[in-house]
Amino acid sequence: MNKGQATNWHKLGQMLLLLSPLMAILISLSAGSLDLSWRELFAILFQGSGSEVEQVILWQIRLPRALLAGLVGAALSLSGVTFQAVLRNPLADPYLLGVSGGAALGAVAALTCGFQSPLVIPLAAFIGALGALLLVYLVAQAHTCSSHTLILSGVMVGSLAAALLLFLLWQAPADATRQAIFWLAGNLSLADPDWLSWGWLWVAIGFMLLWSQSLNLDLLTQGEETAADLGLNVGKTRLLLFIIAGALTACAVALAGLVGFVGLVIPHICRLLWGPGHRLLLPFSALLGSSFLIVADAIARSLYAPAEIPVGVVTAVLGAPFFLYLLRRKGGGL
Amino acid sequence: MIQVNNLNFSFGTTEIFNDLNFSVNQGEILSIIGPNGCGKSTLLRLLRGSLKVGGGEILWGSTPVKEISAAEMARNVAVVPQSSTIYFPYKVRELVAMGRYPHRKNRLSFQNKVDLQAIEQALVMTDILPLAERPITQLSGGELQRVLLARALAQNSSVLFLDEATSNLDIDHRLELTELLVQLNREQQTTIVQISHDLDLAAAISQRILLLSEYGTIVDIDSPEKVMTAANLQKVFRAEIKVSANPITGTPQIVPLVNNSTHQLKGLQIHIICGGGSGKTLLRRLHLAKANITAGPLNQGDADEAVASVLDITVAKETPYSPFTEKTLAATDKLIQQTDALVITTQWWGIGNLACLDLATTALQHGTPVYLLSQQQNHDFTNGPAWQKILQLQREGAKVSNNVDHLLNQLSIPNKG
Repeated sequence: MNKGQATNWHKLGQMLLLLSPLMAILISLSAGSLDLSWRELFAILFQGSGSEVEQVILWQIRLPRALLAGLVGAALSLSGVTFQAVLRNPLADPYLLGVSGGAALGAVAALTCGFQSPLVIPLAAFIGALGALLLVYLVAQAHTCSSHTLILSGVMVGSLAAALLLFLLWQAPADATRQAIFWLAGNLSLADPDWLSWGWLWVAIGFMLLWSQSLNLDLLTQGEETAADLGLNVGKTRLLLFIIAGALTACAVALAGLVGFVGLVIPHICRLLWGPGHRLLLPFSALLGSSFLIVADAIARSLYAPAEIPVGVVTAVLGAPFFLYLLRRKGGGL
Repeated sequence: MIQVNNLNFSFGTTEIFNDLNFSVNQGEILSIIGPNGCGKSTLLRLLRGSLKVGGGEILWGSTPVKEISAAEMARNVAVVPQSSTIYFPYKVRELVAMGRYPHRKNRLSFQNKVDLQAIEQALVMTDILPLAERPITQLSGGELQRVLLARALAQNSSVLFLDEATSNLDIDHRLELTELLVQLNREQQTTIVQISHDLDLAAAISQRILLLSEYGTIVDIDSPEKVMTAANLQKVFRAEIKVSANPITGTPQIVPLVNNSTHQLKGLQIHIICGGGSGKTLLRRLHLAKANITAGPLNQGDADEAVASVLDITVAKETPYSPFTEKTLAATDKLIQQTDALVITTQWWGIGNLACLDLATTALQHGTPVYLLSQQQNHDFTNGPAWQKILQLQREGAKVSNNVDHLLNQLSIPNKG
């Protein structure tokens, strides 16, 4: 394959990726317990035809749901990219620094205390996530936030939260436990749609901030000392990046529980396809992450309709084989 | 240009530098040499402010290094590290472009004309243009070193710090890059401070050499001719080194005296009176030469005793930290009576081990050859008697050697006959 052709393929891939969230949303709109053919879908969307029930399902149930999935996918991918670069660890994922444990603890505490409201639970999860991040940061700060200390203290805070969580589940009533397990496996149906616009605002701000740090992220992948030698204020930058990535993860977890896999693997796939430069990696990861989760959610809703399987199951079953295929084809170079 | 005044620095409780004073002059090539672990890289870090000084001060011009921001420092000085661990497959050109970071005009990329030109020039100068589109994860160690140098060149700074930056290169690229450094220095007045293990190359291109001892003190800082003397280098590196003038350039040239002599002492029975580590080398060499060795008297826990026990050598042993008793000396005498030759490597003489010399005298009287290794009068702590006995031994026919090889040669001669 000559170089010109390769570049063209890349351009085409990038164009497709830009459009992929739209296609994913269309797939998501057509999927679910009420089956709509493509023709019916377009008729309802563009000509306003269809029954009132269909209108309500499409505009007030499926579209917000797709937008929520997109938001969560983008947030997780963005924070995955950031954590992997800053910690220089290809195995880093958004949940590494105890955020997941903190959020789960917050949400389950709210559930077992009898709060069932979809307005309250995300808030409790969000507070739990930020609490865990703060704790990790305070511990690691004593050692100037080296990435090893951060990872270790994150894992410890996560274990502590997991222990407390098990204790809460042990003494909780059975229905609260069941709901909590649903939440822990990742579930996009729990959040109130009122949170949607706030979530998107949060992710949009997070993305712009991260994107403005693209070069700094590139530098940090070269190691602290090199980054500092090239003129980067490492301590300040790293703290800023942790706060942004942590806040994005907290937002995603609060709205959808612990959706695994997306934040770990989408960044890798994008890096294999478009290289490690963050100026492109960040937007492409956000796009691919949101498309991926929208489609995964559509599958989760329609496979055993009207029942839903946890979306985390779908993300892993879909994503892992694809990732293995890419890995085999492109070889190392993660 | 860079002035170091009364610099102190410690890692935790380990002191690295105590009261260091020197300066780096504008436009010079200064090479820092010294043994492993003496703090060369640490010194380079302190100079650019990536480690905080413990005491004293480092001035760039008249500004203390701690008041210079990372960005400003990066415009002053570019650093070429020893190597770099690579996790992400950036292309060579992207990595070199990172050198433009301190000069960037725009938050997202380095796309202006000056940047692009600096990047391409750096690629050409280091001979890596053909590699520009390759991922750095696929490069060899030497190629990566050239990429790191290119990144530093793209930084366009007036000072370059190199930490063994040419150590992984093959000879042609090492010379090529060394020439490049010299040209940068001569034509663009780039000040270069480098850490080097290639002493010859350092001598050839440096205006001045900073020689650090293993304790982090400055042995000397001056022109290569004055610093790189055999005496200085032997003291610092503890190795047999000769210095000659390079026949073409006239700069000092190091001739390491690699020991490649061979000795076969199979079947020869040798007794060694040693202690305090003085016999380690000889014990190892005799073991390799397949001699039958006995040793003693030695206190248990002595460095030589430890070596002897590992090498399975029969030793007349004494309890730790005790003077030698009659019993131990008698046991030693028994060993000496069976031996073909007696070697004394003990360096320090006191009341506690004086009797060993009497054993040698007896041996000599019985016709056993005795060899004395590197004895010195000022190591006699008995106020005279020990040195008297050593002189007496020499008068009675004991042979004197100043190094292990010479001794081994002497031991080989009767064996060959």
